[in-house]
Amino acid sequence: MAYRPSKRQKHGADDAQANITPMMNLMVVLIPLLLTSAEFVKLGVIELNLPPAASGPEASRLEQVPQESIKRLDLTVTITDRGFFISSALAVLSGAVEGEPTIPMTTGGDGAHVHDFTALSQKLHEIKVAAGVNFPDTEQIILLAEDSVSYQTVVSTMDAARSFRLEGREVALFPEVSLSAGVF
Amino acid sequence: MAYIPSHKKKHRHNQGEVRLQLTSMMDMFTIILVFLLKTYSTHGQLVNPSNDLTLPSSRIQAIPELGLDVTVSNDWILVNNKPAARTDDVLASEDYLIPSVQQEMLKYATEAEKMERTYGAKFSGKVTIQGDKNIPYRLLMRVMYTCGQAKHPNMRLVVYKTEE
Repeated sequence: MAYRPSKRQKHGADDAQANITPMMNLMVVLIPLLLTSAEFVKLGVIELNLPPAASGPEASRLEQVPQESIKRLDLTVTITDRGFFISSALAVLSGAVEGEPTIPMTTGGDGAHVHDFTALSQKLHEIKVAAGVNFPDTEQIILLAEDSVSYQTVVSTMDAARSFRLEGREVALFPEVSLSAGVF
Repeated sequence: MAYIPSHKKKHRHNQGEVRLQLTSMMDMFTIILVFLLKTYSTHGQLVNPSNDLTLPSSRIQAIPELGLDVTVSNDWILVNNKPAARTDDVLASEDYLIPSVQQEMLKYATEAEKMERTYGAKFSGKVTIQGDKNIPYRLLMRVMYTCGQAKHPNMRLVVYKTEE
């Protein structure tokens, strides 16, 4: 008889396994490569300027500008454990009560007294707007702190003085921050 | 004869190939790959954060540059990972200047000035200060003053970037 293909149900072929060897090759090469260039902790740097009086090289550079004829703002923020004192060449801004910090401490999330950085930013914004373009040093601010103030507080104050988020926009306040030795 | 199940054939399992199940491994690799792609950075690591201190956090965006490394932890002050002074001694003294740190830094300054004379590579006077976030302000001030007195006036404070 002529050959006829069997009509019997053949055993269904197994599903072809996609060959993932090339993909594995890719992974084995890419993953160690990316691991070596991965940045798990992002570091940033804050550039600092020592105020003129404290260091030799800076002072000689600044003495070339005659200082008596120019009216400077000299904005200074003093960080104490009672709050912030803000002063400038115009006036010492007093708090609600005479002698009290301009911006007293506020109560944080867990009830502890913390510095009020938002209020500081707002106050600095008012000063910036009031100063306008009348002074040559409207970008500079000097920070003073009591001896026992922690480094994180100083850095957060610098953040608050550098820029301020107003209505969704980032407004620059006083980007040039100098640290000064406190005289307490 | 009644059908008796065969004993011989019982243990004859399917002798086909054992296929290694790689799909779950592939899933994991894909997830790891996506994560690493996200943390990829081209500028490399110029500053090695020290293990025993927690840097403060800041919203600053600038990235670190190469410079002399001064690490201020709660126990030691290190210049390029070499211990130069004990923190307790510095806090106890009344001076602003830290002599041992200044000497160490001046050594690097003289080296760099020699290089500048020989090769013309400008001495930048950059110093990268890493400090634990709880160090008191007067310690920071003293370290900064010492850097200024040791021909390294361009100071940069290293911080952790926070997303805000």
